[in-house]
Amino acid sequence: MIEIASFFNYATITFCIALSSLGVAIGSSFSSIATIRAIHIQPSARNEILKTSVIGMALIETSAIIGLVISIMLLMNKDISVVNKFYWGLSNLGIAFSIAISGFTIGLASSYPVQYACLAIARQPFFNNKILNLMLLTLSFIQTAVIFGFIIALLINSQAIYANSLTDSLRHIASGLSIGIGCIGPAIGLAYFAKSACSGIGINTKAYNKILTFTFISEALIETPIVFALIISLILITNQNSNLLVCLAMLFAAICVGISNIMPGISSGKTAASACDEIAKSPEIYSLVTRTSMLAQGLIDSFAIYGFLIALMLIFFVK
Amino acid sequence: MQNFDVFDEHYWQPLKILGLTSSFWNINSKIIIFTWITLLAIFIICLISRFLILKKPDSVASFLVISYVKSFYDLINQTLGRFSFQHFTFVTSIFTFILFCNIISLIPWIEEPTADANTTLALGIIAFMYVQISSIIQNGFYEYVKEYFSPFFLLFPMNVIGELAKVVSMSFRLFGNIFGGSIISRLWTTAIAGSIIKELLGIFTGINLIIVLFFILFEGFIQAFVFSMLTLTYLSIAVRHEESHQ
Repeated sequence: MIEIASFFNYATITFCIALSSLGVAIGSSFSSIATIRAIHIQPSARNEILKTSVIGMALIETSAIIGLVISIMLLMNKDISVVNKFYWGLSNLGIAFSIAISGFTIGLASSYPVQYACLAIARQPFFNNKILNLMLLTLSFIQTAVIFGFIIALLINSQAIYANSLTDSLRHIASGLSIGIGCIGPAIGLAYFAKSACSGIGINTKAYNKILTFTFISEALIETPIVFALIISLILITNQNSNLLVCLAMLFAAICVGISNIMPGISSGKTAASACDEIAKSPEIYSLVTRTSMLAQGLIDSFAIYGFLIALMLIFFVK
Repeated sequence: MQNFDVFDEHYWQPLKILGLTSSFWNINSKIIIFTWITLLAIFIICLISRFLILKKPDSVASFLVISYVKSFYDLINQTLGRFSFQHFTFVTSIFTFILFCNIISLIPWIEEPTADANTTLALGIIAFMYVQISSIIQNGFYEYVKEYFSPFFLLFPMNVIGELAKVVSMSFRLFGNIFGGSIISRLWTTAIAGSIIKELLGIFTGINLIIVLFFILFEGFIQAFVFSMLTLTYLSIAVRHEESHQ
């Protein structure tokens, strides 16, 4: 039994750091290629481009750093006294799901704003400060997901010590799965949007204020599904049900909210990205484009809400 | 961090004498008190800004207050296409209330009222009802009902669910973001509590400042802005409908 527990524990430690580093490494390489291309296009602006690229890459690394922190924390935890070694090891899988999946996705997704901000500065070197501001704003929205994953991982880690039955472990695994799968789609959508926003300012600097306002609203709309996944995760951690049937239903509630988040996130991001391109081309029709885009995004979000409601019913109504 | 309790709640049961002890009738006492403290803070700031505008019109503070109101004036003009004092007061007060609710936790021992799903659901329902009633006043009851049966009558259930989904998404977006931020700051304070070295480290490395700046001020402002902008957008869709037909 102890061997199996150790197997799960070591697997968690490995996957947390390995997958998030993999995502960050691929993302950083994309950003570096874009930086070199931008310097090639506009060699006189190389200082501004390098500054943006270095700040962006430092922020991309957030998910790898979070993976590292969690891995070190789990290694330090080796000697603590737990109620049941086997179920503690099984609960650790929840941490693996929440950190590894979100870290990999966010590492990849957050490279998009950096790439297109560098290329935009190559087009508009005198506008570099405002492009940098927009890049930081979009990056901070994208990284919210990995911070949510981090909260869930910390909560699971503090609860896993008291796990003494299969139901507890199932709840912890479900909680990690919910936030892990749930942030894939919205992260990809946010990356699409950030790409359009950053390259849009490179095309038309006069649209900066309108694109900034639009970014605030759209990014909040795109990341709504992540918030649903977070709420389901928190409910699953704090619920103290010990019925095996109910806990199996909870596992599927997590998968339900996770999978139903994928396509709404991506399509909401694509909608907002097209709207942003249109605003960059012709800022005078801003209010019409914004209204249409928000209406469409509200309709797309309702499909994520169906998944969320069914997940809530699976948690509370299954007896 | 071991005994970290996310949902610690204190309840009043005012209708216990009548035998109504279901959780529906409970009143969350903590949230009610914090909401009243927030309202008191808004009231005091309103009094101070009124005094400043009347007595010292050239000061920096009165300039800030005037530009705060003026930016909302421009926002309404831009989105609705015309100025409406009624909609202006509604959107501005919703923004101000949510903003103060989100940043009230800067005061020690006070938590955000918006980190409770009851408050945000109430705000969502208020915004929803306001939009619906404005639409009825603007378009007439017949046009309003006809809207739900468009493009054709089979889509009636889809339209109703779509409207209700707006309430759920608006209120849970606010709740989830503020709740997540409050959990992060609580986790951090429990992690550094009990050791002077850790607390000094938190102050001097600037992590305390980053958490406050990002998760309380920035996130609180953005969520308040998003909530009021979405209300304004839904309002403009509901109110402008008649003009687009003509």
